[in-house]
Amino acid sequence: MTLSNLRQAAFDKIRTWAARRHGRDSLPITIARRRVYILPTRYGIMLALMLVAMLIAGLNYNSNLGLAFAFLMVSVAMVTMHHCNRNLLGISVDAATEADAFAGHEARFEFRLQNDSNVDRRDVEIVCLAGSAIRGVPARSSESLQVDVPTATRGIIRVAQFELRTRYPFGWFHAWTYVQAALTLYVAPAPHGNRTLPSAGGKGAASGSMTRGDEDFSGLRAYQPGVPLKHMAWKVLARGGEAAVRSYTSLAAQPEWLEWSALEGLDIETRLSQLCLWVLESEAAQRPYGLRIPGKEIAPARGGGHRYACLRALAAHGMAEP
Amino acid sequence: MKADRVSYEDLLGICACLALALAAHVTSLPVWVLATIAVSGGIRLLLASRGEGPPPRALRLTISVVAIVLLFLRFRTFNGLAAGSALLALTAGLKLLETETKRDIYILTLIIYFVSIAALLEGESFWLLAYLIGVCWLTTATLLRLTTARPAPEWARSLRYAGRILSQALPLALVFWLFFPRFGGPLWQMPDDGATAASGIGDSMSPGDITDLAMSDDIAFRVRFKDDPPPPQERYWRGPVMHDFDGRTWRRSYPASVRAAALTDQGPAYRYTLSLEPHQHNWIFALDWPTHWDLPHGALNGDYTLVQAEPVSHPIDVALTSYTHVQSTEPLSGPLRRLDLAPPAHNPRTLQLAQTLRSAHPAEMDYVQSVLAMFNEQPFYYTLTPPPLGNDSVDAFLFDTKRGFCGHYASAFAALMRAAGIPAHVVTGYQGGTFNRFADYWIVRQSDAHAWDEIWVDGHGWLRVDPTSAIAPERVERGLTDTVGADEHVISRWQRRTPWLGDTRLRLDALRELWRERILLFNQDSQQQLLELLGIPAPDGEKLVLVLAATLTLGLTWLTWQVRRELKPARKEPVIRAYSRLCDKLAAVGLARLPHEGAEAFATRVARQRPDLRLAVDALCRDYSALRYAPADARVTSGEFAAAVRAFRPTRRDSRASSER
Repeated sequence: MTLSNLRQAAFDKIRTWAARRHGRDSLPITIARRRVYILPTRYGIMLALMLVAMLIAGLNYNSNLGLAFAFLMVSVAMVTMHHCNRNLLGISVDAATEADAFAGHEARFEFRLQNDSNVDRRDVEIVCLAGSAIRGVPARSSESLQVDVPTATRGIIRVAQFELRTRYPFGWFHAWTYVQAALTLYVAPAPHGNRTLPSAGGKGAASGSMTRGDEDFSGLRAYQPGVPLKHMAWKVLARGGEAAVRSYTSLAAQPEWLEWSALEGLDIETRLSQLCLWVLESEAAQRPYGLRIPGKEIAPARGGGHRYACLRALAAHGMAEP
Repeated sequence: MKADRVSYEDLLGICACLALALAAHVTSLPVWVLATIAVSGGIRLLLASRGEGPPPRALRLTISVVAIVLLFLRFRTFNGLAAGSALLALTAGLKLLETETKRDIYILTLIIYFVSIAALLEGESFWLLAYLIGVCWLTTATLLRLTTARPAPEWARSLRYAGRILSQALPLALVFWLFFPRFGGPLWQMPDDGATAASGIGDSMSPGDITDLAMSDDIAFRVRFKDDPPPPQERYWRGPVMHDFDGRTWRRSYPASVRAAALTDQGPAYRYTLSLEPHQHNWIFALDWPTHWDLPHGALNGDYTLVQAEPVSHPIDVALTSYTHVQSTEPLSGPLRRLDLAPPAHNPRTLQLAQTLRSAHPAEMDYVQSVLAMFNEQPFYYTLTPPPLGNDSVDAFLFDTKRGFCGHYASAFAALMRAAGIPAHVVTGYQGGTFNRFADYWIVRQSDAHAWDEIWVDGHGWLRVDPTSAIAPERVERGLTDTVGADEHVISRWQRRTPWLGDTRLRLDALRELWRERILLFNQDSQQQLLELLGIPAPDGEKLVLVLAATLTLGLTWLTWQVRRELKPARKEPVIRAYSRLCDKLAAVGLARLPHEGAEAFATRVARQRPDLRLAVDALCRDYSALRYAPADARVTSGEFAAAVRAFRPTRRDSRASSER
């Protein structure tokens, strides 16, 4: 136990030292040679001990064939070290944090690994906070990795540094690099509550039927991530314009305001949870909605981008934003 | 830890690797050790195929303790190669039994690597090395599969990658092997196993012993003469000398106090190097009679056999000088005379024959001649398949069967000499040899084993008499294969009809000798010669380490380059590269191609902005489009296109426009 503590302490030292040495990084970043570190794993140390024993045996028996085999194994270990190091070199890493996260569930960091080289990368692992994910990136392609981090409360998760590492091939060596990039993940309140939507009280069933069917093209608006691809205005893009999205309005749909003030008598977190549930319900009902909480007002709209903006506002309520 | 569990397929792979590595030890390991390993592997595989874990801990522990105690009882030690290998193999088998997680797999692969090297420590064949490198390759590929996150890469891919790593390791291994300093002797003395019985001449001779050897094609030693070799009838390679005869078997015993009487050499000296294969005895088969030898603990026995302190358990090279004609200046020492006059036990008819003959020929040499004449004139036959003889072997041979091989004749002759009061003994060794004209050395095989006699003649000393030459003189002159009758069973008889096959055999042996000389016997001296060859003056250990460091640095630089080379983005086709060079040139003069712009659209825009470049750019872009999308219709080849791009040098400003102004 003490040994692993010692190991942990040593790695912490290296981590802070590497952070000082490389300074801040901006994503996407290509892993350069001088930031990849490598050490043998415990299997590597076992191998090294065996290689020493092999050499001694070969020398003691004065056996040239034994020595040839021992030297071959030593060289294999050296080549493996180079291959392990290479497995990380030249990979481009980018991160996306605009993913849904709700308190009590796993928050998901999404990383993108781009491999422009001619060699396959295998078993590249990303370690971010308490989570990690591992996968290979074939030559000339890119892959995304999701690192899930458990969350307890709503708020903002800030990551100053994450780690890329690999033990491929053979697991004798452990090559790793630290990326000093600030990642921020907003964890929305857990969606729950027992209040119905304000509008549902009056119009009831009618509002449900109105949202169906009769949608009309109402104009173009700027592209935001998360919009269904079938709504993209491809012709506009082809003409050389900005990426745009055709927006539709349901004739009968009335914008709805999700109000902090409508939840008098509840404590802050319960209110936020209720608002969160409403946001999700409104989005599911495909009805425009706006959010009004102390210090923040989001005009009615709908779609993935809008929904994310609302959840983010709920997550960051009362927190210092970066 | 669930994910770390090994599956049935994993186990099967690692078991196969272990089995292949152990196959190299199959002749040296006790059978029950192999059986234990096979049973453990079988049990574990059976359990794994049902998805179960290893057997209970108590059972495993019991098996381990029992097996290791048995092993200790068998060897009485765990030190030494045979016991060590057996222990290692047993550990592998027991480890297999308890294999459950990735960690066990790592330990198993390490054991497999070590089992492989253990086989090489005393092995010497090229094929063994090649085989074990193959096993290492397979094991490494298996390890790769087992240590990569699921899904494991397919076999072909793993083998390719492991092969790649091995091939990149080979040059580095070669550098290490050539320049890593060797020590003169072992770091510490290991107990001698000595268990490995080698075929060859032993320290006793019964009728039929040498006949068995005659069937063996194994090489006893090779000889390289500095100058001309001695004539065929003088190529006697002296082995142990037999003094003790019990009526059937000759034995080597002689009084240790007797030292070799001084010899005066006559005739030419023969200098040569003897490359002796290990034969587990301490004598060296020198050409009769050795006078100088380059051997650390070499000494001449009282009966002129060259011996060293330790048995020859590794191939050795000895530089020697011999004279084929010598004369003894001292009288025969008492103990030796008594030993060599001891009349043969039993064999009454032989004793009687000797007395009859001796009374007819009182002079020593006349008597010797009469015995040889008897062999020659009476119906004696030289044969590889003599009938079996009883305890009075000489009687049976001389009077009943009259068929024998060199051992029979030498035995009978010595018995007849002793019975007539002439000191005599049997010398065993080899006679003749095959010249390898492809590499200028002589091969002496086990089938060249021979036995002859020496008698003491006062005033001359020991005189070699080869009774076989009386019955089959060509045996001595041309070697066995030509002598034995066509109906005789000799392995290489059919080779006479196919001379090219014999040539191939000699060529192969030349290769084997090269392997032995250059690889197996590579040592400090060879390293020194290597450094001299590299032009390093006065090489010593320090310089060797420096050369090792320098070549290693070179090797590692090469490796780094080799490994990182593949990281470079894919090389584009020449046409695309030339086109991007064209775009770079235009960008340098302020005409950057927009990412979405095709070649034609780009050319149109360039023509609009810089009319002076219109013709050139238009032609180049048209050629590019043709080469890319309709290569069959292209006016130019890709090489011509690239050359045109190289020749294209756009100016920064429109020269025409500025001159018009």
